Amino acid sequence: MEVEKFKYDNRIVRNFAYASFLWGAVGMLVGLYIALELIFPQLNFCRYATFGRLRPLHTNAVIFAFVGNGIFMGVYYSLQRLCKTRMWSETLSKIHFWGWQLIILLAAVTLVLGITVSKEYAELEWPIDILIAVVWVIFGINMFGTILTRRERHLYVAIWFYIATWITVAMLHIVNSIEIPVSLIKSYSVYAGVQDALVQWWYGHNAVAFFLTTPYLGLMYYFLPKAANRPVYSYRLSIIHFWALIFIYIWAGPHHLLYTALPDWAQSLGTVFSVMLIMPSWGGMINGLLTLRGAWDRVRDDVVLKFYVVAVTAYGMSTFEGPMLSIKSVNAISHYTDWTIAHVHIGALGWNGFLTFGVLFWLIPKLYRTELYSRKLANAHFWIGTLGILFYAIPMYWSALTQWSMLRQFTEEGILKYPNFLETVKAIMPMYYMRAFGGFLYLSGALIGIYNLIRTAQQGSFQAEEEAEAPALEKTYEAHHGEHWHRWIERRPVQFLIFSFIVVAIGGLIEFLPTFLIQSNIPTIASVKPYTPLELEGRDIYIREGCYLCHSQMVRPFREEVARYGEYSKAGEFVYDHPFQWGSKRTGPDLAREGGKYPDSWHYNHMDDPRTVSPGSIMPTYSYMLDKDLDTTYTAKKIRVMQMLGVPYPKGYDAVAVSDMEKQALGIQASLKKDGIQTSEKKEIVALIAYLQRLGTDIKAENQKTVASAQ
Amino acid sequence: MFSFIKKYVETVAHGDIYGYVAMGLFGALFIWMLWFALRADKKYISELEELPFNDSSKKN
Repeated sequence: MEVEKFKYDNRIVRNFAYASFLWGAVGMLVGLYIALELIFPQLNFCRYATFGRLRPLHTNAVIFAFVGNGIFMGVYYSLQRLCKTRMWSETLSKIHFWGWQLIILLAAVTLVLGITVSKEYAELEWPIDILIAVVWVIFGINMFGTILTRRERHLYVAIWFYIATWITVAMLHIVNSIEIPVSLIKSYSVYAGVQDALVQWWYGHNAVAFFLTTPYLGLMYYFLPKAANRPVYSYRLSIIHFWALIFIYIWAGPHHLLYTALPDWAQSLGTVFSVMLIMPSWGGMINGLLTLRGAWDRVRDDVVLKFYVVAVTAYGMSTFEGPMLSIKSVNAISHYTDWTIAHVHIGALGWNGFLTFGVLFWLIPKLYRTELYSRKLANAHFWIGTLGILFYAIPMYWSALTQWSMLRQFTEEGILKYPNFLETVKAIMPMYYMRAFGGFLYLSGALIGIYNLIRTAQQGSFQAEEEAEAPALEKTYEAHHGEHWHRWIERRPVQFLIFSFIVVAIGGLIEFLPTFLIQSNIPTIASVKPYTPLELEGRDIYIREGCYLCHSQMVRPFREEVARYGEYSKAGEFVYDHPFQWGSKRTGPDLAREGGKYPDSWHYNHMDDPRTVSPGSIMPTYSYMLDKDLDTTYTAKKIRVMQMLGVPYPKGYDAVAVSDMEKQALGIQASLKKDGIQTSEKKEIVALIAYLQRLGTDIKAENQKTVASAQ
Repeated sequence: MFSFIKKYVETVAHGDIYGYVAMGLFGALFIWMLWFALRADKKYISELEELPFNDSSKKN
């Protein structure tokens, strides 16, 4: 067979590498800033810098910008070499690169402006969602074009992970982002309440699985053997590990909703599959670590291997912890506390962060045909980063256990020992200081690493086109006699893609169908009514400010939660919630039963300066809402969109929505006036008060009716 | 044509059946892949695990 000469495109690899570490620095810096905001609330100095707006910026920057660009860097490098061909289209590579950077920029701008759909890790509004889908498809076309024009018949296991990642992320993104637009910057999720929560955490969990895990496992299977200069420990294990992992992962989403109003059978299903997940996850970890068998002495001197060892170990720790957190009794502690924050940062800082830096330290010298600028600096980065992870995670575990134990303590008389949630926040402040210090260490290490990489590039000469040669793939292939079906599919990327899709789609379908079809899963509650136009506008302000990031709206059926917040939440309460606002972390108290707890004036003063009514509060001030007029341009359209989604507003209600809104606003204005507060009924604060005062009141009305009829 | 299935899945009061279906499907897939992985030819496996090292680059 004639040997063909061709060139690998290193330019696209370099571009993604640069984007990865530059965006990584930005994402980590914002992370440190919001950690400091939780200590010094004064840092929320303007509406664009509040915790609620910056936190999604941090998560999006780290997940989609740092890790995302890291994935593409690794895929573009390894795919060309594993397929022995150049990327299929240089133009598509460029569109992919610039399209992805544009998405990141748009995300940064819109999130800071408060343009969000409030679904965690999927906050971006519909035009950006469409752009993400287009760029993702372009990446897929280029990837499959490369695979289909390859010179190597068999697809190495890393490519299986890339294929599964691509198809699953596409599925998750499309299904979770189905929204009805109100305007260019506002939309409502087509799902409501329980169904929205299930879809969102099916997406949210699998964003972790198929964006932060499977592509990185693909990278591990390529870059770890290359750095260790020995093949993967067990290729057989990788086969079992791959299929088991992608099948099981997709089911685990409901473990984010344990003890919520999600139907019990779905919670149980999520728990069982999450516990099972430890096996394929550890299959990957064991395969990674044992690849270093007989080469552990090299770990002492080779900084790249050091990063890989900590990365794979962090992966093992996270994937042990994940199933453990899916056990209901453990989840009762971790959910809504800092335990979850510790868990995700072990994965993000250890697994994703250190694997990315390991790949960068191996790759940049190769691309620039030089040695690493400074091993000492790389080692300093490694140790400072490792200490940073520990200083970050340990205080968060400590904080979670402290707060959980305080929240559930009762006095001998049977009343809550710490009835004010703020007391528990004050108790964990020392841990927040330590967490910020850990974040500072990790960021410092990363900045040293980036400096080292830039100096490495400066001292070398970049090889944009890397010459290679390989025989063309023979058109005909004689299949091995009696070969197994898997061996057949390993040579067929399209069939591999279809089978992967079937495997990942099964989990979603079996979880969604009953939740959407069986009426008894979400029993309706007669007293639950749609939001008034003013409450709807207030709810949109709540969403815009990211209140759900610190306040849940889900009372779990625990004695301490019922005593603190009121009646536990029911599925039927959320049928008009497009999108749901259950939250995933309580930095402040739950708000599901907030309505009627305090007078309107309390909310007014609280938003103006939380510390005047709650000394020691770490909540940002929202005083600008007191002066800002409520934009009612789209109120009528919002009602029409809600009607499209099945919310039972009377026919033609959109025409009177604004006048109804004004009437309710005047009532709140009068109530504020009674307490000595002069304000216009047109201000945003009035709408927000209307929404907060509505929360949980439907159920209270239902309970009062029941008691009255019993008497 | 499939109305009997529709009626069935819409009227199931508890979701046990979905759990059993899920476990059954996973068990089948797992055993299928395990059978292949254990029976796979050693030479074939060695070829595959060497793929990252045969990247045909003239420089690396």
